[in-house]
This record gives sequence, structure tokens and C-alpha cells, in this order.
Amino acid sequence: MSARRSARERVVITGVGAVSAAGLGAGPLWEAMIAGRSGIARLRHPDVDRLRVKVAAQLPESLALESHFTQDQLSIMDRVSQVAVVAAREAVTQSGLDFADARLADQAMVVVGSSVGGELTHDEQCRRLYSESNARVHPFTIVRLMMNAPASQISMEYGLHGASFVVASACASSNHALLQAVQAIRCGQTEVVISGGTEACLSYASLRAWEAMRILSADTCRPFSAHRTGLVLGEGAAMFVLESLAHARARGAAILCEIAGGGMSADGADIVQPHMEGQVLALQRALADAGLASHDIDYINAHGTGTRANDVTETRTLHAVFGRHAEKLAVSSTKAIHGHALGATGALELVAVVGALQHAVVPPTINLDAPDPDCDLDYVAEGARPMPVRAAISNSFAFGGLNAVLALTPAPAD
Amino acid sequence: MTDTIEQRVFRLIAKQAKVDPSEVRADSTMASLNVPSLGAVELIFDLEDEFDISFPDNEGADFNSETAGHLVSVVEKVLADKAPASGGSAN
Repeated sequence: MSARRSARERVVITGVGAVSAAGLGAGPLWEAMIAGRSGIARLRHPDVDRLRVKVAAQLPESLALESHFTQDQLSIMDRVSQVAVVAAREAVTQSGLDFADARLADQAMVVVGSSVGGELTHDEQCRRLYSESNARVHPFTIVRLMMNAPASQISMEYGLHGASFVVASACASSNHALLQAVQAIRCGQTEVVISGGTEACLSYASLRAWEAMRILSADTCRPFSAHRTGLVLGEGAAMFVLESLAHARARGAAILCEIAGGGMSADGADIVQPHMEGQVLALQRALADAGLASHDIDYINAHGTGTRANDVTETRTLHAVFGRHAEKLAVSSTKAIHGHALGATGALELVAVVGALQHAVVPPTINLDAPDPDCDLDYVAEGARPMPVRAAISNSFAFGGLNAVLALTPAPAD
Repeated sequence: MTDTIEQRVFRLIAKQAKVDPSEVRADSTMASLNVPSLGAVELIFDLEDEFDISFPDNEGADFNSETAGHLVSVVEKVLADKAPASGGSAN
């Protein structure tokens, strides 16, 4: 353990919450990951007949998201804020924190990742204005769609007064947000942060825009398979309560695991094509920041989108960073379970990593129906694998070449 | 005199390749014309816009290895399929 690391606050997770295609709760999401049960299904959308894309990983209808809020709340909340708040409630409840404690509420921060914010509100109001020639725009349009709304709504839910904001870096938004939270705790700015990611952007316009990029799969997501045909969009949120280790111990909280460190980088090269060099940097920085050697890592939750470009580049990156240890890594992508929820995806995938560290089981990569010679690592294709996990990595590599990697370890021994 | 479908397709390819249309041949691939992958995706959009068609979804298609001649034939086929039902725009 380096002097540098012991000199700063350590950061642990004491609460987890999620809303996803697997339903309400981090528990059901983890169970779906372990069972290899995909939340990808036929797209439910009023404009489905005008769309090419026919599948997505949407919240189950039975979840009745709006029933979790009052009418007054719903009038000022886009779906992206609704899923964020529902996930945050679960995480806070699990953590046992009581924000009625003014000292706690005064310092607690909210740092949320999201790729596009209130897209459904934007789409709905534009449709009224342009397509239905209805000149009246809802007066709460701005407060629903503004990017910071999910962080604001969580802070309002608990009356929190710490620095709070939203971080946007496309598909790496969650991991970038979580790393901002980690830095804030480490430097003593706060002892508690609610952090994670949220996304709800399956609007007609957004789906058409993704179609135009021609990277959506027509049927399902097959990470690392030779038969992979693209990504499948998802929606949802996952939130975490991050605390300093000292704070969690002082109140006797149950610690789920530790965020040992993280690394961020920019490819600085291309707006869509992933570049190995930038990814390697992010991983190396994460290992160094966490004080971990490459051979300490047992599990990698891959970005694993199921696109031609991502999966082969990510595989090469892992070879470059881990050398001969790469073949000993258990690597899995859970995107075929919860879909690619863009700004929320890193947070949903962190549920897999927290679960793997807690339960010593690694979730599988499902739909890996044909080996690709260019994707030659152990992707845990046979099903969930019981195995000790000493340390794990979670990768997020975004469009725009923005990379953010988390390194996690089990809850520290007392 | 109206341009042929081939001339119109080649002109759009040339625009993405930043070359003169005369340099585009039927067996030119997007890669050989140095059309970047993002440019190839934009080209499909350009073609859809030019001809008011929807390009078929070919899963996992590698647009970089598409030839100019093949793109012409796809456009011709989609236009032909569309012709009998030319009552209204699908848009």
C-alpha cells in the first residue's frame, strides 16, 4: 500500500439502488445478471411502426414508475429524474444514512452521470411545437429537461446542501461522475456522496438518430461474439452511496466494497472510433491510482457493447495492459442483460462489480454464440462463475473517445 | 437532361471522398477512396436523402468495403421495389 494512498481518505460503497430492464431494485438486476436473463425485448413505443429498431431494454411496464411520485413531483420531473430518484432512495435506505441529521445534509453531495438528460421532455415538447402546430409549450419544460435536473431532484428529495452537479461524457458519464465523487471524498470536501448514472432517452427522435448511425442490432446484443451486430439501447439508473471509510466505520455501517481508484483519459483522436492508446492510459491510471498491480485483478466488467469496433479494440486494450495475465482474467459484458443505457450504463454495470466482490460470483457474458478470433479472452460465456474476486475493474469507453475506468476491492477487513 | 442514378450516386461518393466524380469507378471501395468510416455512414444518409429511400438494414455491414457499383445497384433495387407503391412518401 503506497504512502500516497494511505494519506488520503479511502472511499467505500454503503448503499446500492437500481432501476433497469430487470425491474425495480439492484437485487433483481444482480439476479438477472447471474441468471443470464436478458431484459432486451420487443420495443414498446407509440412510433414503433415508423422505426427500424425493434428491440430495446426498457423498464418493465409493471414497474409503474410514475406511481412512485406525487402529481406535483411528476409535473416537474422527466423520466430521467424519476429513475434517478427511485434508485437513490433504494441506495440511501440500504446505507442507513439519515439526512435529517443537519451536519450530514449540509455536506452530502450528489454527482450524477447522464448522457442527454431530459430527452423525452425535449422530444414531446418539440413534437407539439413543430408537428402538431400547438404553440403552447409546458411551462416546466426547462426544469424537466435541463441536464442537472436528476442531481437537483435527488438533492431536493433529501434536502442536501453539498456541491451537486451532473457529469456528461456519453457512455462514460456514470464512471466519470463516480470518480468525481471519489475525488471529493478523498480530498475532504465531503464524507458522503450520492452518485451514479441515469438515462431515459428512448424517444422517437433519439431512436431515429441512433438508427442513422447504423450501429444498432436488429435483434439482440452479442458482446464479443463473431455474430455481434451492434448495440441494443436501454434505460434506467443506478445510484450508490459513497462514504469515506472513516465515516462508514464510525457509524458502524455495513460496507459493501471499496472504490480503490480510477483512471480517466481522452483518446484525442476520433469522435466515434475507439482508440486503444487512450483506453490503455485510463486502465493504467486506474491501476496506479488504486495501488494495484495488473495481476491483482480477477474480474473485468467490460464496456462490451457488441459493436464490431468496441469489442475488438477493448480486447486488444486488455492484452496491452495486462500482458500474460490477460488470459487469466474473467471478463464479462452485462450489456445483453440491461442494454446499453448510455449515461447510466457504467452505474448499472457497477452493480455487477459490487455483486461479484460481495458474493464471489462473476456474471456471464450471454449471447456469445460464436467465438471471434479477434476477441480471444475468457468472457465467462458458460454462465455465472463462482470465484474469489480480489479486485475488479469496470470499463466505460464513450463516443468522443472519453474513457473512465473504476478499480474496486472487497470491503476492507476491520 | 437528367443525371443517371449512377452519376448521382458517384457524385455523392465523390463528395465524401473529396475527389472529382470522374475518379469514382464501379469497383472503387469506400476504403480505396479513403472515405472514413463515419463518412461512409454519412454517405448512406446522403443517398437516402437524395433518392428519398430507406437503405436496407444489413446487420453488421462493413460500409468501408462497399463498392461504388454495389451502392448503385442497391439504390436501383430499392427504387424499383418502391415504384409500384409510389402513392405517397414513406416519410
